[in-house]
Amino acid sequence: MMRFIPPRLRKPAAIALAGVLFAAAWLVRGGPLWWISILAVIMAAARAVYLYRMGGQDTDEGALAGSRADERQKLLSLRSRALACNLAVIAAFIGLTAAIAVKGAWWWPFLVILGVAGFGYLLGLSNYGVAEEGTPDEVDAGHQARSPVSS
Amino acid sequence: MRNRVREQRTQRGLSQAELAAALGVSRQTVISIESGRYLPSLPLAFTIARFFDLAVDKMFDPDDEEAGA
Repeated sequence: MMRFIPPRLRKPAAIALAGVLFAAAWLVRGGPLWWISILAVIMAAARAVYLYRMGGQDTDEGALAGSRADERQKLLSLRSRALACNLAVIAAFIGLTAAIAVKGAWWWPFLVILGVAGFGYLLGLSNYGVAEEGTPDEVDAGHQARSPVSS
Repeated sequence: MRNRVREQRTQRGLSQAELAAALGVSRQTVISIESGRYLPSLPLAFTIARFFDLAVDKMFDPDDEEAGA
């Protein structure tokens, strides 16, 4: 679906969509806090406009915001997301440990976060080719047979 | 790892932006490669070497001392 959206609009559109979904959740919830949905829409719209404007800049941040990153910029983004995920996992582990220690009933969301992170890691290993080493060719097989370690 | 990107670029009178456009990368990436802060992928290294009509091992030198000599 993203291919039909111009690159510079992709991230702003994703932010706008997330904002609308968040606002809809507050509206469906109802009650005296329904006004948070309006706040959410305003904040999402402001963020989307900011990202769109940033997407036109000749900087690394601009290239990432405008979905036109090259290999170095994609690597920067990948490393940053990996760091963010590691920090989230550490925070979830601390939260889980604290919830258990104080006998809190709010331990399970932390466990869900850890579970999703673990599943995502395994999915990544599987998806990106850990199981694709293949079989050794004849030369490798010969070396293995003559290996001083195995003999 | 040393490289000769800046040297080759200036010899040809190209700006960093012009080289970036020719290679299909950002100007910031050309700056990072020239300063040695970023090692390009093998495909990009080949693209750079071909652009300057040099072999990859002439463009990128893993041995600093030899390159400086």
